[in-house]
Amino acid sequence: MSYRVDFTLKHDLKKFGIHDWNECFHCGNCTAICPMTKTGSLFPRKDIRLLQMGLKDKLATNLDPWLCYYCGECTETCPRDANPGELMMSLRRYLTSVYDWTGLSKKFYTSHFWEFGFIFFFFCAVIASFLIWLPLSGNTAELINDQGGVMINNLVAGISGASFVNIIEIGDWTMAILVAGLLISNILHMFYRVVIRDKEVKVPVYAYITEFWSLIWQFMTQSKFSKCEGKTYWVGHLLLMTGYSIMFAVIVVLLPEFQIEEVRPWYNWQRLMGYYATFGILFFLVYVTISRIRKSDWKSKFSHPTDWLFIVMLGLTTITGILVHIFRIGGMVSATYYMYVIHLAVLVPMILVEVPFSKWSHLAYRPFAIYFDRLKEYSRKSQNENKLVRAA
Amino acid sequence: MLSNDNTAIFLCPPVNGDSQQIDLKDIEGFAKDKLKVSHVWDCASIPVLNADQVSKKIQSFNITKIILAGQKPGFYKTVFTRAMKLVGEDPANVMLAGFSEYGAVHQSQTDLAKAIVACAYFDVPFEQAIPKQAHPARPETLVIGGGIAGIQAALEIANGNQKVYLLERTGTIGGHMAMFDKTFPTLDCAACILTPKMVEVGQHPLIEMLTYSELTEVTGIPGDYRVKINKRARRVNLSTCIGCGTCAEKCPQKALSEFDAETGMRKAIYIPFPQAVPNKYLIDAENCTYVKNGKCGVCVKVCPVEGCIDLDEKDQEIEINVGNIVVTTGFQTFDARKIERYGYGKFDNVVTSLEFERLVNAAGPTGGNITLQQKDKKGNRVFLENGEVPKSVGIIHCIGSRDENHHKYCSKVCCMYSLKLAHLVKEKLPKAEVYEYYIDMRAFGKGYEEFYNRIADEGIHIVRGRTAKVSQENGQLMLRSENIETLELLEQKVDMVVLAVGLEPREDAKILATKLGISTDPDGWFKEFNYAGDPVGTFTGGITIAGVCQGPKDIPDTVAQASAAASSVLQNIMKGHVQMGLGKIKGDDIEFEAEKLSMKKEVQL
Repeated sequence: MSYRVDFTLKHDLKKFGIHDWNECFHCGNCTAICPMTKTGSLFPRKDIRLLQMGLKDKLATNLDPWLCYYCGECTETCPRDANPGELMMSLRRYLTSVYDWTGLSKKFYTSHFWEFGFIFFFFCAVIASFLIWLPLSGNTAELINDQGGVMINNLVAGISGASFVNIIEIGDWTMAILVAGLLISNILHMFYRVVIRDKEVKVPVYAYITEFWSLIWQFMTQSKFSKCEGKTYWVGHLLLMTGYSIMFAVIVVLLPEFQIEEVRPWYNWQRLMGYYATFGILFFLVYVTISRIRKSDWKSKFSHPTDWLFIVMLGLTTITGILVHIFRIGGMVSATYYMYVIHLAVLVPMILVEVPFSKWSHLAYRPFAIYFDRLKEYSRKSQNENKLVRAA
Repeated sequence: MLSNDNTAIFLCPPVNGDSQQIDLKDIEGFAKDKLKVSHVWDCASIPVLNADQVSKKIQSFNITKIILAGQKPGFYKTVFTRAMKLVGEDPANVMLAGFSEYGAVHQSQTDLAKAIVACAYFDVPFEQAIPKQAHPARPETLVIGGGIAGIQAALEIANGNQKVYLLERTGTIGGHMAMFDKTFPTLDCAACILTPKMVEVGQHPLIEMLTYSELTEVTGIPGDYRVKINKRARRVNLSTCIGCGTCAEKCPQKALSEFDAETGMRKAIYIPFPQAVPNKYLIDAENCTYVKNGKCGVCVKVCPVEGCIDLDEKDQEIEINVGNIVVTTGFQTFDARKIERYGYGKFDNVVTSLEFERLVNAAGPTGGNITLQQKDKKGNRVFLENGEVPKSVGIIHCIGSRDENHHKYCSKVCCMYSLKLAHLVKEKLPKAEVYEYYIDMRAFGKGYEEFYNRIADEGIHIVRGRTAKVSQENGQLMLRSENIETLELLEQKVDMVVLAVGLEPREDAKILATKLGISTDPDGWFKEFNYAGDPVGTFTGGITIAGVCQGPKDIPDTVAQASAAASSVLQNIMKGHVQMGLGKIKGDDIEFEAEKLSMKKEVQL
């Protein structure tokens, strides 16, 4: 099998945050110190080698970057200051753009114009569509319920018989299907490039089923992450993930139960779920922001502009969401409406950029990468056994 | 006459990683005002520095001579020679004015840097332009440090019939080499080479050993240094002690032996090792019960020579006059505790190479038996002669060397001494497995590559891959590393780990450098006059350096350099005077001299 050497690869990858690729003298320290490596999947040194040699195809079909959780031990102990940890992070950004067949991801990572333009466009689009089709309507006094809260679903008159909550629900589902569609097609693309096109790998069909549990298990617990040092980060990340999942369930599947007129007591399940989700997201956001500013651990030392964008957008979404909640309970009618509009105007572009094309896509790529890696390992093992049997 | 219009000076910014201490603006001003060169350009201001761009510049200003001034301008030279070729000029007219080559690295040495540029401008070798300000030299020489370098230098000077003082901090001369068992690559016994030299030093009528003493102050001028030396209280009379050893036998106080790299014990009154020169006892004040509490005095009672041991002896300061000083202070080994993940000081049986060197040495605490560490009755960790034998030994290279977090330089000797230690393990324990983990195998000298091949053939597992960490599992040590050649993750269990610690400058090297008025390089080694041209001289007249204190090197190189230093000293003594050295000469004087020399050249033409 032959591979093409791409001389420009190193330069192309600069925008994804890769630097100093020539520092490495291949002592193997990073591979040996890494708690995640095992014979068969040796990184980060192998990936540095691939980058230095310009083997683009090998690099693009490589799962190693997703198996790294960036504890930073390799960078800390590297005798050459080659920073292998950040290289793996940058490769994850690069791989995200490789899996994305639309090409938008690459644009977002390498051009501020595209990224901010896209976000600004959807920000304006959401605000404009509210002001044109869903303006604040009705008498302020009529919009206050018995508990003194705002009757949120009557803020807007609705369009041709559909109520406000129905319109938002339709919008939610449209976006969820669009984003999921993009993400799934990207994963299929990843599957095609990583598993199908790899001629050395033959995965038996039953392995897909027997290994499937690892996908679910990793998605739910990120138990591999906990093998790395720094347990606080893992707990925080788990809080964020569960918080976000709950929020997703509440605003997409259970919206009619969530966006309601009456103000339920604080111990009601829908309020408790909302509070847990808000806490989970906010806790991790604050933790990550502080560590990125202080550069207190290795994974926070080097921030790509897209890292900050994600934090800012998620933070804004959370804060506006909290304000909507406060204004609603406080009975401030127009404040509730405008904050609701801003909340959506931040949320929509964030979901559209981050989930299929940027940092957030790792929610799917990482567990699937672990799944594909297990499949490959399975095939390697069974092939070795076959060889042994034949030899015998 | 030099035409200033056809000469251009290019100011070269420092090459990657070097810090620029000398302000190039000063140099620019100097070139324009004093040398009257109108074309002074900063390389950093040229957007794309390639031969094409430079040749255009050369052509448009009709330039025939280029001077590259900067910290390390050689880095840029090829661009300019190619550019000169492109326009049909003589590429030999590209002159270098490298500051760091002549030790101008700090801002305070801007004057010197200017002089270097002036020399390049006048086309006069810098060394020639240094004004010869000779001082009459005294014939006595002081050698600081009694290791192999100091011994060699002292012997060579003394054999040239000149008086030598040999200053040594510990109780005996011999230094690190005395601690080694074998030397690479010939596997000769280190003591067989060293001890005859030590004895010769001890018996030489022209060598005065000042052991257990330290240098406190140096005053005077080159050729006539006044050196104050603190003779620490030995508490045993050097002239009457007969070295019988009765005192040490009866002494109740034990302490860790420095000579055995703290793998074994000695008494508070001790002789560093049996072949010590001078072969006389001394008392370690820190551990002696009498010095600490005022009670004991057993040694005085058992000593067969009356008045030989004086427990109340005080330190004593002496002053000597010397003409030349040879600095051979050597090195210390890297403190492996600084890299926690190798477990030195945490796990038993993780030892440094210097400690292991004592374990394999027949004169060491285990009598040459390689044994595992064990606890004695008092709970101390000790190596005993009849202890358990390791079944496998792992040797990790590059501890503290070639590491951006510690020392960036290669310590030069570790690869070879590690191979030697591996061989010694195989020799003493033929059944033991030995694993060597290296980054690059640097077998650079005569017979070294052959030595490497020989050791590899002895069945030692030589693994390419730096060990990342050492952990303890079921009483064994586990080394985790990647085998770069086979792409495997290795988790190797061994009984004993040897850390091949690198060499570093002594803690107080900087203090000594200030006392002597010599400079140190960024790594802390003493700075030589010219790395390739004069590796033993310094910028201070009458002071030469030799051995590892100038930079890591092995024993053959150390001995060679010590001889070179001795020849330089003898040369000064024969001539009867010492050059002033750069440290005390003004930049202006050098410029003046350079101009004068260039005039002379023209007259000759």
